[in-house]
Amino acid sequence: MAEGTITPTEEKKWNWTRLVLLVLPIIILGVVIMVFLTTGGGLNLASPAPVEALTEERTILQPGEIEITVRNAGPEDLTIAQVIINDAVWPYTTSSGATIPRLRTTTIHLAYPWAYGEAYAIRVFSTNAIPFDFEIPVAFETPKADAKTFLSFTLIGLYVGVIPVYLGLIWFPALRWLGRRSMVFLLALTAGILVFLGLDTLAEAIEQASAIPGAFQGIGLIGIGVVSTFLLLDAITKQQIATARSEVSQRLSLAYMIAIGIGLHNLGEGLAIGAAYNVGEIALGAFLVVGFIIQNITEGLGIIAPVLRDRPGIRHLAILGFIGGAPAILGSWIGAFSPSPTLAVLFLAIGTGAVYEVVYEIAKLIRKDTAREAMPLTVFSGIVAGMLVLWVTGLLIK
Amino acid sequence: MKQNLSRRDFLRAGALTLLGTAGVATITKVAGQAKASPLHQMGHGEDAMAMAVGEVDHQRNGFNPSEILTDFDYGMVSTLENGQTLREYVITAINKDIEVVPGIVFPAWVYNGRLPGPTIRCKEGDRIRIRFLNGSAHPHSMHFHGIHTAEMDGVPGTPGMIDPGESFTYEFDAEPFGLHLYHCHAAPLARHIAKGLYGAFIIDPNGGRPAVDQEFVMVMSGLDVDFDDENDFYAVNGIPFHYQLHPIQIGVGEKVRIYLVNILEFDLINSFHLHANFFNYYPTGTSLTPAEYTDNIMQTQAQRGILEFSYKYPGLYMFHAHNTEFAELGWTGFFEVVA
Repeated sequence: MAEGTITPTEEKKWNWTRLVLLVLPIIILGVVIMVFLTTGGGLNLASPAPVEALTEERTILQPGEIEITVRNAGPEDLTIAQVIINDAVWPYTTSSGATIPRLRTTTIHLAYPWAYGEAYAIRVFSTNAIPFDFEIPVAFETPKADAKTFLSFTLIGLYVGVIPVYLGLIWFPALRWLGRRSMVFLLALTAGILVFLGLDTLAEAIEQASAIPGAFQGIGLIGIGVVSTFLLLDAITKQQIATARSEVSQRLSLAYMIAIGIGLHNLGEGLAIGAAYNVGEIALGAFLVVGFIIQNITEGLGIIAPVLRDRPGIRHLAILGFIGGAPAILGSWIGAFSPSPTLAVLFLAIGTGAVYEVVYEIAKLIRKDTAREAMPLTVFSGIVAGMLVLWVTGLLIK
Repeated sequence: MKQNLSRRDFLRAGALTLLGTAGVATITKVAGQAKASPLHQMGHGEDAMAMAVGEVDHQRNGFNPSEILTDFDYGMVSTLENGQTLREYVITAINKDIEVVPGIVFPAWVYNGRLPGPTIRCKEGDRIRIRFLNGSAHPHSMHFHGIHTAEMDGVPGTPGMIDPGESFTYEFDAEPFGLHLYHCHAAPLARHIAKGLYGAFIIDPNGGRPAVDQEFVMVMSGLDVDFDDENDFYAVNGIPFHYQLHPIQIGVGEKVRIYLVNILEFDLINSFHLHANFFNYYPTGTSLTPAEYTDNIMQTQAQRGILEFSYKYPGLYMFHAHNTEFAELGWTGFFEVVA
């Protein structure tokens, strides 16, 4: 076949021989699988010790009670035998029986007199005498999903996402008077900021991926999230540019793309903050909130960078700020009330893909400008300055 | 007995709740009843207390710690030509899967299928003849604490170290009187002990000890179920929490004697604390005069001693290791003192 004996006309014809040839490998595959499943194919496939895995989904603490939701991440069913908390075998109940089918979850309930601010180590023994350890680094009552906590997480999202982005937008009138070189610098600065944010988001995604069940293939999930988001946004942009009437509306489209990219990044950020706050891993001190505001103010700057030479109108600016900042609120809600490690990985991957697609768009815009007048040092210093800005402001947060 | 009933209900309801079959309402109700009972000690606030969920299958295990408590093996008795009493025993070492904690099966190595092995009991000066069969997949031995010849010591390099499928007869005179123990001395020693090859060895003095109403044997040990050379659970007589689930019954004023042996591997010491009471303690049982009047003693591995006490008031009284970590990982029990 490889010798090019097939002509285009032959290729279109279908007959039984071809159908059989097409289906044959699948049939043989089925037979091979059958042979393996029934005989083991001459290999000793029985493992000497059972392979089990149990991962934590979420932990809820209420006065006198600890609830930990765990997922069976192993290849077989897993049965919980005993639960030990801080070196004491403790009576427990489960939400759906002690046996957890593959990839399913169960919630372990302990009536345990925990104390505020202390650390707890929970060990779950399976019936195969395999211990799984989970940790409550700092015990405090898990916020309930009531109006008050919704409001407080909304405020967190507002402070770390919405307010900084809008603050950045306020620069718009002042920056409109910049010359071409300064504009390019600003675009490069934005690109630098986004490269840094993208790395940050990706690192967070990879870190989270290690905590999710192996069967969910965290790294693969990141790949799917990043690549599909990148390509999807690229396709949308191309379509918009194709239908755009002028260069002005093209640039406005780009501003919207940047807002979406930053918004998706902020969704991931909100998610991480909500989840971390929930398990007491971070205390949102005033200093930390200030740090977030300073860092995220640059995001607002990035959104308006492509449209500085235009007059997009206050309505567009308001929408741009909302798209860029508000997902932080949504993210903190999800992170606080329904944290799912797997979902978090996917969101973070989407954020990464979106941010890098925007970098790609900005690069195209810069190239358009530098085509008329080469200014390599402006681009270099802009990108490096953007990355450094985030690194330095990051010192306040991390 | 009404009080007794409420206590039983409390324990049973506890076990059921652990199994996830009883609702919150049940336990609140029963805990309420229990509080009204003078037998109930833990009625402060919630009845939160360390405990395993469910109960092991004693039938399938082939032994029950409640029976091991009073199971003294005097052997097959005859008299030698010189007038000496001969006690003959047959002890087999086997590999055996034992459900040590509900749901967790431990691939143990045991003497005569039980954990701990049989309590060998004899009198000072008796001739002891033990036919030892190794039905296990590994070399094993019986190393007795006592006075005997080097050939009978059951350590590597002596005829008493037995390969799988082989057998040997240990023979010696029982001395000195006291509470001793035996265990496998094959290498690696820590693993062979941790896997369950141990038992108590009691030599009564000539003329016996003063009469008591009840005698119990308690062998303290640990269970390393995941083989990381750290104990995951602790127990007396093999099964963690057994006497918490099934309190040991004694009567008010009854004289009680406990033969307490520590064979705990991996941890440095073990201890025994008796609630709301004091006991006379006879270290190694080699004297008839108590060395101490206390409510808490400590033993390192292979240390042992005899405790004597009686309860003045009826009620449910805890006894446990005062290494509280061990206590909450299974080494806790109750005496139920009835009027």
